[in-house]
Amino acid sequence: MSFLEPWMLAALPLAALPILIHLINQRRFQTLDWGAMRFLLEANRMSRGYARIRQWLILALRTLAIVGLVLAVSRPLASGRLGLAAGGRADTTIILVDRSPSMQQRGKQVASSKLQRGVDQIASALESVGSSRWVLIDSVSLTPQELEAPKRLRTAPQTGSASAAADLPALLRAAHDYMQANHAGQTEIWICSDLRANDWDAEGGEWSILRDSFQEFPQGVRFHLLAYPEAAPANLALRVTKVERQKTRQGSEVLLSLTITRSGDDNTIRVPVQFEIDGARSELSVELSGLESTVENHPLPLTSERVQGWGIVSLPADANPADNQFYFVYSDPPIRRTAIVAENPALVRPLQLAASIAAAPGVESEAVVLGPDQIATLPWEENSLVLWQAPLPSGRIAAALQSFVEHGGSVVFFPPANPTDANLFDVEWQAWTEPAEPLAVANWRGDQDLLSRTLDGAALPVGELAIYRYCTPKGETTPLATFPDGAPLWARRDIGSGAAYFCATTVLPGDSTLASDGIVLYAAVQRAIAGGAERLVATQQRVAGVGSMDTSKWQKLAGDSEALSTEAAFQAGVYSLDERLVAVNRSTSEDAAAVLADERVDGLFEGLEYDRVADRVDSLAGLTREIWRLFLIGMIVALVGEAALCLPKRRPATANLASSDLAKGRAVA
Amino acid sequence: MSSEHKIRSFLEPAVLSRLGSVPFLARRPMLGKVSGRHASPHRGASVEFAEYRKYVPGDDLRRLDWRAYGRSDRHYVKEFEADTNLRCCLVVDTSGSMGFGSTGVSKLAYAKKLAGALAYLAVQQGDAAGLACVAKGVVRSLPPRRNPAHLAELFDQIEQVESAGPTQLVGTLHELAETTAQRALFIVISDLFVDPKELKECFEHFRFRKHDLTLFHLLDPQELQFSFQRPMRFLDMEGGTAVFAEPNEIADRYHTALGRYLELVKQVSIETAVDYHRVSMADDYERTLTHFLVGRTRSGGVR
Repeated sequence: MSFLEPWMLAALPLAALPILIHLINQRRFQTLDWGAMRFLLEANRMSRGYARIRQWLILALRTLAIVGLVLAVSRPLASGRLGLAAGGRADTTIILVDRSPSMQQRGKQVASSKLQRGVDQIASALESVGSSRWVLIDSVSLTPQELEAPKRLRTAPQTGSASAAADLPALLRAAHDYMQANHAGQTEIWICSDLRANDWDAEGGEWSILRDSFQEFPQGVRFHLLAYPEAAPANLALRVTKVERQKTRQGSEVLLSLTITRSGDDNTIRVPVQFEIDGARSELSVELSGLESTVENHPLPLTSERVQGWGIVSLPADANPADNQFYFVYSDPPIRRTAIVAENPALVRPLQLAASIAAAPGVESEAVVLGPDQIATLPWEENSLVLWQAPLPSGRIAAALQSFVEHGGSVVFFPPANPTDANLFDVEWQAWTEPAEPLAVANWRGDQDLLSRTLDGAALPVGELAIYRYCTPKGETTPLATFPDGAPLWARRDIGSGAAYFCATTVLPGDSTLASDGIVLYAAVQRAIAGGAERLVATQQRVAGVGSMDTSKWQKLAGDSEALSTEAAFQAGVYSLDERLVAVNRSTSEDAAAVLADERVDGLFEGLEYDRVADRVDSLAGLTREIWRLFLIGMIVALVGEAALCLPKRRPATANLASSDLAKGRAVA
Repeated sequence: MSSEHKIRSFLEPAVLSRLGSVPFLARRPMLGKVSGRHASPHRGASVEFAEYRKYVPGDDLRRLDWRAYGRSDRHYVKEFEADTNLRCCLVVDTSGSMGFGSTGVSKLAYAKKLAGALAYLAVQQGDAAGLACVAKGVVRSLPPRRNPAHLAELFDQIEQVESAGPTQLVGTLHELAETTAQRALFIVISDLFVDPKELKECFEHFRFRKHDLTLFHLLDPQELQFSFQRPMRFLDMEGGTAVFAEPNEIADRYHTALGRYLELVKQVSIETAVDYHRVSMADDYERTLTHFLVGRTRSGGVR
């Protein structure tokens, strides 16, 4: 228990006053010559049990009354187990705030969201508990920020809403790193979250490491979890699944596919969905009978011939305002350009075919063939992919390639006829190997990247390839496909936001069957193009908080006006960057309302000093409360009890016996 | 007699003169030696007709009722009530506990006032008054006499007596009941701190001896109320062990014991036809005596 006026507790010894007075009183006896001893002796012989207990009770109640008074004026604070937990004054208090969109859910009685309420509760709790340092780490920036006082929590922009999902393990890691870096003393870590399973990632391996690392702190870390796991009743969530611009006879239109989901409640309702595109509003009434309803290709006519633009789809306000809006952008897809650099002209044709045949209708692809010395003239910003079959470049070309990949482009390197010791991206080609028997691929990554399964789930026929000759890339790479001896056929190296791929053989018929069994080559090249083309896409649908982006040049077109511009990538909205438009929305996982069970949460903090702070988003009561009234009432009860016990019993009227019995006594006569 | 002119602290002439107007009567026939104002068990020569009796030889012919003879032709002797004086025996308890007094007057002083006044009243109306001061035994005693000189001596005795020693009231009363000639008036003034059961036997003894027993039970207001604020160390005035007590704690039980005792004493008094007067020391003794005397007048001297 903590006190707002702890110095008043110094008066607690006053509780001994009644005992002291009693003892002094005992010593202050009077001596009296007494005649009626027989009654005294008789009274002494009688049972004195109750009288003795009564005396002790009176003494105890008097003591309690004083204790109650002293405690009341010390202004004690408590809230269930919190009172016990917040015993000592902490050196550092770290507040971890989950700012995910689900924290925007509002209670029925209270207008504030889970996030606002949680932050407010923690601020009021910390104001009364006391600490030397307050550090805020929010789920968006993951950067510790020292606060002057807990009340700053309420106004700090870092405790506002965000559209990015939270990563609780990362938050705890940030807290841990802060403690380690700042040699924090006894630390209290307050966590405000709604226990969403996707934010907590309870199955992730990091939790056990975190537990161990927190246990290693000798100074002691105490966790307080302020959780609001209550689900919003009948909350509707909106998500745009596809945006497509197409030309019509009148002009052009945008085809929008969207999904409306809701939690609980099976009644059939009609939901008015509002569309706003380039300033024009329209409404569509969607019937929602189950938990989910989908609208496919809803046409929104475009008023102008603009090639790109943006819009908002929104639902009426409900329990969680964060999932009622979805931003989208539309545009025509750009031409996907591939540059082919090959020292052997025989290689060019298969590669050119693989690169120039578009994978989807409405997407234009083209491939240009360049000599190694012509590459300098390539318009890099319009290019998606470079297919390089030549000795690894150096100097200016190498720098240009490096910049290209770092900014999201893709390069596929094939081995030159005569490998040199030239080095690019810390990778160099080794000598050619010619196995006696044609080699087949033993393992390949079918789950992601170039050789992943097709959309319908079928595996690429990588295993059917026959490799007659190969040249292994040497360096730190991630193998995508390997031979039985472990040497890679395809390898990947991440550079910046793009990737460089290394294929250990060429498409020459004497080297492999890559060209003759062209499916693998085609799929791999198209996927590399798609990866490289992503940066070129004029409009982008992004998930808030995913991927690293330089948002310094982003201009906000739509979205929460109060959000920090530095957090653009984490805040739902539409942003423009030069000519490009970016729509940022919450992740799909945010719509999954799965919440961690209490036992699971307890399990995550096993072995750590941890307590759950009970609060409900609907509750109007505070976390820590001053409970002096309780003590005052206790004191009053004690005093009333004492008075009741002290009340003289109705004595037999012996005092009046003499006079009243005079007449009676005479009557005998 | 020089002693008559002494100023006695326990006598107030004004009170005595007021009380003197009320006769001091016995409740039952008394046996005195001279004529007085009290009923006697024997026939006598008063003016109050008692009964007719058949003449038997040897009767005084002067007492024959000739008129009755004329009417009935039979000889009847007319008899009259005898009036006699009484022997008033004042028994004053002088044990240690009688020294207690919270009102400024000790029980003994109060007893002295009662005894003095009663002795004076008795002698004044021609009755004999005697005194027995009782503590462990009979401390002082004076046989009942009716001359004023005796009264002075009695006053001297009363004046000199002091409270001391334990109470042996019951044994002494038995002794007095037995040694005093029958049909005397006994007035016991005591705080009666003895066992009521023993008292009962004692009172029955008096009744058996045809004495008229009157009891003034003196109680101090503090003994009745027992209201103390501080812890007290009670010293026994009769030499017993001291008792240390927290009055608040013990008061309830004290009152229970006291109430039980008083109830029992009253019960015993009723059963043994004792003229019982419970007297609080806060009461004025004149009022107490007036009540006593007037009560006796009302009962009207039983024969």
